[in-house]
Amino acid sequence: MDYRDEGALALNAALTHGAEYVEVRFEDESAQRIDVRNGEIETLADTRSGGYGIRALIGGAWGFAASADYSKASIERTAAQAVALARAASRVSRRPLAQKPSKAIIAHYSTPYTIDPASIGLEQRVRLLLAAEQALHSTPQVRVGRAFIDTRTITKNFFDSNGSQISQRILQTGSGLQAIAANDHDTQERGYPGDHGLFQTGGWEVVEAAQLSANAARIGEEASALLNAPQCPQGEFDLILGGSQVSLQIHESLGHAAELDRVLGWEASFSGTSFLSIEQLGKLQYGSPHVTVVIDNTLPGGFATVGFDDEGTPSRQEDLVRNGVLVGFETSRDTAHLLGRESNACVRTGGWQYIPMIRMCNLNLLPGQLSFDELFADVKYGIYMESNRSWSIDDRRLNFQFGCQIGWEIINGKRGRILKNPTYAGVTPQFWNACDAIANQDAWVAWGTPNCGKGEPMQTGRTTQAAAPARFRQIAIGVGYDG
Amino acid sequence: MDRITREEIAQRLITLSPADETEVVVLSQAQALTRFTHENIHQNLRSDSTTVRVRVISERRCGVATTTVTDDAGLQLVLARALELAHLAPADPQWPGLPKPAPLEAAAENSFFASTAKATAERRADHVEDIFGVSEQHQLWGAGFVSTTASEVTVANSHGVLCSYEGSEALATVKQSGADATGYGECTSPNINAISGKNTASIAAAKASATAHPRAVEPGNWTVILEPVPFAELLSYLVGHFSAQAIDEGASFLTWDNLNKAHVDPNITLHDDWTHPLAPGMPFDFEGAPRQKLTLFRQGTAHDIVTDSRWAARLKRPNTGHALPAPNCYGPQPLSITIDPGTASLEELIASTERGLLISRFWYIRPVDERQTIVTGMTRDGTFLIENGQIKGGVHNLRFNQSIIGALKKATLGNTPTRTTGLDYTMVVPAVKLADFNFTSSTSF
Repeated sequence: MDYRDEGALALNAALTHGAEYVEVRFEDESAQRIDVRNGEIETLADTRSGGYGIRALIGGAWGFAASADYSKASIERTAAQAVALARAASRVSRRPLAQKPSKAIIAHYSTPYTIDPASIGLEQRVRLLLAAEQALHSTPQVRVGRAFIDTRTITKNFFDSNGSQISQRILQTGSGLQAIAANDHDTQERGYPGDHGLFQTGGWEVVEAAQLSANAARIGEEASALLNAPQCPQGEFDLILGGSQVSLQIHESLGHAAELDRVLGWEASFSGTSFLSIEQLGKLQYGSPHVTVVIDNTLPGGFATVGFDDEGTPSRQEDLVRNGVLVGFETSRDTAHLLGRESNACVRTGGWQYIPMIRMCNLNLLPGQLSFDELFADVKYGIYMESNRSWSIDDRRLNFQFGCQIGWEIINGKRGRILKNPTYAGVTPQFWNACDAIANQDAWVAWGTPNCGKGEPMQTGRTTQAAAPARFRQIAIGVGYDG
Repeated sequence: MDRITREEIAQRLITLSPADETEVVVLSQAQALTRFTHENIHQNLRSDSTTVRVRVISERRCGVATTTVTDDAGLQLVLARALELAHLAPADPQWPGLPKPAPLEAAAENSFFASTAKATAERRADHVEDIFGVSEQHQLWGAGFVSTTASEVTVANSHGVLCSYEGSEALATVKQSGADATGYGECTSPNINAISGKNTASIAAAKASATAHPRAVEPGNWTVILEPVPFAELLSYLVGHFSAQAIDEGASFLTWDNLNKAHVDPNITLHDDWTHPLAPGMPFDFEGAPRQKLTLFRQGTAHDIVTDSRWAARLKRPNTGHALPAPNCYGPQPLSITIDPGTASLEELIASTERGLLISRFWYIRPVDERQTIVTGMTRDGTFLIENGQIKGGVHNLRFNQSIIGALKKATLGNTPTRTTGLDYTMVVPAVKLADFNFTSSTSF
């Protein structure tokens, strides 16, 4: 369904009610989720959600209204509501904020894939999960095993009063494992891949790449070994982070900090602001010269990879940090002009019923030169940590504390015994300036995050921070269990 | 969507379904939210949605399908998909069966206000304009929102369960910011006529003004007084421990061996009570089972735990009626948390504190160790130093690492139950004074 007639109806209705500019986005999402827990199917669910959101501009203010009722009367009513909301906002607001696009775009985008997920039957999916979950129970200490597959297809049809018509078909696929081991005194968990699974755009090949069954027994064994492992020591040590934890570190202490709406105070009441300011552009030494981070919403497999963002801006690549220096922000049309730039297409919604806003999309730490093993060679004493377990950062994105599921002691360049409850803490710029090596392309993975929260009402974003393992010098470790 | 239409949809699907058992949950929500920052409304929205969730079971094989398309074709399709999934699913030998009809108490009359459900964009904008006026009067800038939500639920199944509920909520939140200090206020009620943007903005402004020029304090063990908002934020990371699933999985401080034992201060009596007049809730859960009123801590001793039909059958315990919409990986959850108040006013809690911190709001609390209930998080938007029973101005924000159970071992409760709303909860709690709260680092703001 191309929604052209419904789109025209929505645009005309809003313009008739006085909108100066209007856009409408029709979204249909079909998802299938299967969860296996301890040999049983916990979830076998098929979800279809469809509806449309209309955003109207009056006097520099936006109004947004959404509905799942496609009748003519409902579309006209929803358009009128969007205009009324814009008018009310314009009446009260002290300054105009909203920017409309200058040109029309007519285009189509579709996620590339190798294996159509629709060609993989339910029985095959269930069989894969049952086998992988069973393999998690590789020791008697594994109390709970979980395995899941999540596949979804999203179609978007965007129209605006400039004449834009953009259609997109996006495939998002994820799978993963979790083992929980427990004894009388302790509970430990291990997830795979990364901490919660592998999520990417693409087809069934994303599930195959995760290699769930091949890794399940090891994950169960590691969860069990943690029960009797020594506590991670406390002190300032060298730290090597696995790729998925580096991904989370980018997400929390760089990606959110560099969202321009936060910098401007648009998220102050909930998600918070940022320690960054526009004046720091080109000046702030955010990290060491090893640190180069790129916004790339064209990245193959990136969980946020699309052809166009949710206000119709084409995806592009743009540096955020170049050789350690802050050189960009994640922007929208309403904010980019404050930098004298065009939007870098970082606007997303959590679905048809949500307002478009700046979201961290694909934000990638470029790989370095060393192999993963070579990262260890220069460490006399340190800790290697893998897979996130706990994450917290202040509302200006400075003071953070993260915990991982598992750690290994490093002595004279060799990985040694397993350590339980590893945590580390720091302050954002100091931490990134302590980065002295990043592993190379061989260890670089497009780690997707399916549950990034932001906004009021809360919207769930899907994002990637592609990363390789990285090394940081003299970091505060073991703080979570202090006191 | 009105009650009659929701119930008709549910009944029609049950009639059409050839499955052994069929359950239909219809969730309808109309939400409007006016969000502002720097004296501008930058997000102003309204969303109307209805979700129909069908769960069918045949020969112990279960399938679930969900849709937002509620016309005839959409409903027939969602049922067909659920049946198709059930046909392909492996049998569940532990399937307990859907709940049978049971007597339900009526929902409280003050759970739904049409005035909230029908509030206009102009009315919310008027509240926001009042907030802007307070911000400008105090030379601060404000950020927050005014929202109105109407939520409607119908649960029905092929055994004859049919129950419906309508609830409303109006909520105003304001963060006021100055050059070096911030303050937070919130106001929530089912009735929009009980909401005042101006009063909420004034509370936040008073905090922002009083924390201006904050000083640094050393991390370490502090006596803290948590206002209701941060107390509820902390408790939200504890109440899930009373889920039968969490206990069984080893994800709770509770074990099957330490139920009915003292864990926290005898001052703490914690309920799950949907009938509380400040936070009236659903009389039934998302399987249509009656929600029992439970006491999770009775004078410091772990007492009740929450179950749903699956966990009740698995553990051979009563179904307490705490199911979330099926399927989910969270298991049964308490959703209507209240704490019995103490006798001291907030002023008396402060006056009795030789040296401590008064906290207005927490941020980004996350579990560090579930079993030990250790969480980490930050203070924000109004943290005050107390010396010799008096507030001595604002302090820089601090990070804590603290066992919640450990913190509650010595607790003095305030005397004013307050309704507070978070991302996924509404609670009624007073302020609380805790003897030892472990801060591990500080900030420069």
